Amino acid sequence: MGDETTTLGGIHISPNAVATIAYHATLQSYGVVGLAPKNLADGIVSTITREPSHGINVRYKGEDIDIDINIIIEFGTRVNSVAQSVANTVRFNVEKALGLQVNSVNVHVAGLRISDSD
Amino acid sequence: MIDTVRVNRLRKMPTDGQSMKRLIESGLIWLRTNKDIVNALNVFPVPDGDTGTNMVLTLQAAWNEIKDLGTHNLGEMAAAVSKGALMGARGNSGVITSQILRGFSRGVHEKSVLDKETFVKALCDARDTAYKGVVRPVEGTILTVIKEVANAAEAALGEAKDTINILEVAVKAADEAVRNTPNLLPVLKQAGVVDSGGKGLFFILEGMLRHVYGESLETPTMSVQPMSAMNLQDALDEVEEGQDYEVVVDFVPTGELNLQSFYTKLEEMGTSIQVGEGEGMYRMHIHVPLEKRYEPIDYIMDIGTVTKVAMENLLAQMDDIQKSKQLQFTVVEPGNIAVVVVSPGLGLSRIFASLGVAAIVAGGQSMNPSTQDILNSFENLPTDKVIILPNNKNIILAANQAKEVTVKHVMVVPTRTVPQGLAAMLSFIPDGELDSVAEKMTRALSAAKTGEVTIATRTVEIDGVNVKDGQVIALLDGKLVVSAESVEEGVMDLLEKASAEEHELITFFYGEDMPHAEANRIADVVRAKYSSHEIEVQEGGQPHYQFIISIE
Repeated sequence: MGDETTTLGGIHISPNAVATIAYHATLQSYGVVGLAPKNLADGIVSTITREPSHGINVRYKGEDIDIDINIIIEFGTRVNSVAQSVANTVRFNVEKALGLQVNSVNVHVAGLRISDSD
Repeated sequence: MIDTVRVNRLRKMPTDGQSMKRLIESGLIWLRTNKDIVNALNVFPVPDGDTGTNMVLTLQAAWNEIKDLGTHNLGEMAAAVSKGALMGARGNSGVITSQILRGFSRGVHEKSVLDKETFVKALCDARDTAYKGVVRPVEGTILTVIKEVANAAEAALGEAKDTINILEVAVKAADEAVRNTPNLLPVLKQAGVVDSGGKGLFFILEGMLRHVYGESLETPTMSVQPMSAMNLQDALDEVEEGQDYEVVVDFVPTGELNLQSFYTKLEEMGTSIQVGEGEGMYRMHIHVPLEKRYEPIDYIMDIGTVTKVAMENLLAQMDDIQKSKQLQFTVVEPGNIAVVVVSPGLGLSRIFASLGVAAIVAGGQSMNPSTQDILNSFENLPTDKVIILPNNKNIILAANQAKEVTVKHVMVVPTRTVPQGLAAMLSFIPDGELDSVAEKMTRALSAAKTGEVTIATRTVEIDGVNVKDGQVIALLDGKLVVSAESVEEGVMDLLEKASAEEHELITFFYGEDMPHAEANRIADVVRAKYSSHEIEVQEGGQPHYQFIISIE
């Protein structure tokens, strides 16, 4: 997946490209206030680089694309609905932009941000 | 019509917790009344499939939270509204609506009544809270609408006499903001629609104002939609008895179209009225009874130039649509039990769907589904409690394997036939304990005897019955009991063997090779013999078996 051969040569779509689309779709989703680093190493890397795939992990497995997203949600929204709408939006945007089939979008709620309490 | 006496009376009364409760209720009713208009505005196939429905459910949850609440304290009432909306938020627009209500509640915190300053402050808090929930707000959505509403209210605060004035300003601002959404969001412009969530918010606010004005909340707004948004396919869902003809007329009105009288006139003729507009042309859609099918055309010829007329007999159309229509499965609430069944035919699938199953795997005799097929059917369901009904002895194994592989809690109720599956479904309780529900369903299996009638594919002797290739054979609970020369004879002998006279209800599910009329004829023969029994005939659509018979 991500590879296509035409008469002119090959087209390869890197996981990073997919991650960038997913990243923007995620940040436009209502209720999401940020992405969380995948792990400690990623956390350190993302503070020194401005890598767009921060918090997003894209894997190709044969014909399938699997996307993992670590998000931080606004405290006081319904977490379940927000996560579901992230999954929908990301799938829709990736499939629309790349014409590739997305196998799964796994949304990990890494934390909640409390901007102000009621 | 604005009831001025009522408005003047309301102006003198304080807006307390109970007033807010009535306002929320009015917003909900008005949104519900106009839900279809909001749903019709969807642009994306996903992400937010049915904005109107989601917003109604969200507001409904808020209403459920407060409907028995007796407090007159505004702050307490608003807090309860906010809590209910949060818990029930569905979909993107629902979540945003809940944030708006949460912000509003924060703005009236510790206030016992609403004055105009508090109202404006609460609207501003609603705006700010809504915007806090997203990193990159998309303009041209419900967010823009609440922003414009709050800004307009703020600007009007000096001039406004009271809260009713502010509400009037808010509704007007919402209306304008909604109309402006296509200019902010290109995808809306392309589709020729306004933002659905924003429109929903407008209806909520307008509902509140209509309540103040004493206007009806039950009749939907007359609306002219863009022609591209007219969804005439869906209108068929609501065909009412007697309204057999669908008439669609394209026309150019001679003068300005008076929508009010246009609608009034059409409502006298029929139902499911939709009016669309595009480039100076109008399209009108209506369902009318047979004898009135020319009336809409005659009427429109009086007020404009008709360019095209389409008329269709709905009853004939309905048949086709129902056949091809996707099955409507029960929506599983998270935490509830989902039932997945294996069904050999479309008719049976439809019956299972109506009994509350969450998913169907196609399969049966000589077309066994794989473990993977079964897994796929329930993996995406929003619950981890699943019951599988294999409905065939050869599929029980695959079902058990699916149970081994998945991380969900799965129970297999070992139904060997379709009637057993149906009997099990009747004992299904979605919100029960998984183990005990499965046990109850298993116990229900013995309630139904299963007869199956088919054609023998080879000459054989089994269980003492001689069968020749091509003969009709009948099985009772999986055992060969009868061979016969005709289906009718097979059915009658089978019922005899099943001691049908001791039972009460016999249901015939006829297969794809069995004509409906022939199935009915045989059922009549059965009726004549078992006159005190209840005999039902249903389309099963299964291959190979002329009949699957449930004897209860």
